[in-house]
Amino acid sequence: MEKPLTVLRVSLYHPTLGPSAFANVPPRLQHDTSPLLLGRGQDAHLQMQLPRLSRHHLSLEPYLEKGSALLAFCLKALSRKGCVWVNGLTLRYLEQVPLSTVNRVSFSGIQMLVRVEEGTSLEAFVCYFHVSPSPLIYRSEAEETDEWEGISQEQPPPGSEQ
Amino acid sequence: MTSFEDADTEETVTCLQMTVYHPGQLQYGIFQSIRFFNREKLPSSEVVKFGRNSNICHYTFQDKQVSRVQFSLQLFKKFNSSVLSFEIKNMSKKTSLIVDSRELGYLNKMDLPYRCMVRFGEYQFLMEKEDGESLEFFETQFILSPRSLLQENNWPPHRPIPEYGTYSLCFSQSSSPTEMDENES
Repeated sequence: MEKPLTVLRVSLYHPTLGPSAFANVPPRLQHDTSPLLLGRGQDAHLQMQLPRLSRHHLSLEPYLEKGSALLAFCLKALSRKGCVWVNGLTLRYLEQVPLSTVNRVSFSGIQMLVRVEEGTSLEAFVCYFHVSPSPLIYRSEAEETDEWEGISQEQPPPGSEQ
Repeated sequence: MTSFEDADTEETVTCLQMTVYHPGQLQYGIFQSIRFFNREKLPSSEVVKFGRNSNICHYTFQDKQVSRVQFSLQLFKKFNSSVLSFEIKNMSKKTSLIVDSRELGYLNKMDLPYRCMVRFGEYQFLMEKEDGESLEFFETQFILSPRSLLQENNWPPHRPIPEYGTYSLCFSQSSSPTEMDENES
C-alpha cells in the first residue's frame, strides 16, 4: 500500500492583478523530493507570469529532520533583486528558512498562505492551489524592501532581467 | 592600457576542495570521470549532485554500488553572515552519509563544517572550504589521495604518516589530472 503524500495547501492572492496572475498555476501539482522552483521562468515547476518576479524566485526544498519520518520543507530565496517575506522574516538571495505548519509568504506583490499536512511518503509531495478573492496577509505585517519598491506596479523596472 | 585599471574589482570566490580516496580507486576506474586538480566555477544557486547517474549528477562515480544520486551540496547564506555556507544532504535510501561522526539518513541534511570527513561505503572525502566574497559563484576542486584519509589507517607503520596525507602530495604529484585506465593493475 502506498504511503500518504505530504500535502501543501496553498492559497494565492494578488491585490491588483487578481486571479489572472495565477493563470498558469494548476489546481494540483505533484512533485518529487527535489526542490520545487517557483518563478517566471519556463523551467520553473510553478510558473507565474508577473513582471516583478524573477525567473527563479524561490524554492521549496523537501528534506527530513533527523529523527523524523515526516517530510519538512525549507524555503529559499533565489531572487537577486527581490526578497521573500516569510512569517515575519525577510529573506534575501540564498537565505532560507524551514516552513512551519502554517506559513504566510509574500513576494513581488503576491501573497501566499501555505499549510503543511503531514504525510509519510518520501517519494513525492503534492500541492493544491486555491486563488483567494481577498487578502491573506495584513499589509502592515509584510514589509517588502526589495529594489523595486517605489516603482509603480504597472511598470516593470528597467533591465528587469537578472 | 586602462582596461585593467577601470575594470570592476575582482571578487574572491568560495572554494571547496575535495580530497577523495577509495581503496579500489586504481583497479576499478571509479573516478575516471572526475577531472582532478581542475578548478570548476559554478553558480551559487546550483545544487551539486554526486552519484552514479550522469544525467542527474554533476560529479559521477563509475561504481554500481553508488546510488544514482548519493548526496548533494548546496550553498546558502546564513542570516548574519556575509559569506556563503555549504549544506550537505544524503540522497541515498540505501547508504548512510557520515560527516565526521554524524550519521545522515535519507534526506537528512546539515551544515558542512569548514573542514570535515565525509564518508559513505568505502568512499572518503576530505572537504575543505575557503570563504570568498562573491555571492554569485563558487569553485570546486578535486584532489586524489593515493592513501586512506582516515587517521586510524595502519598503513606501513615504519613510514611517517602525515595527518591526512594530502598536503605534501599536492606538490609531488604532476599538475595534469590523474588518468586511470580500467586495465591498470
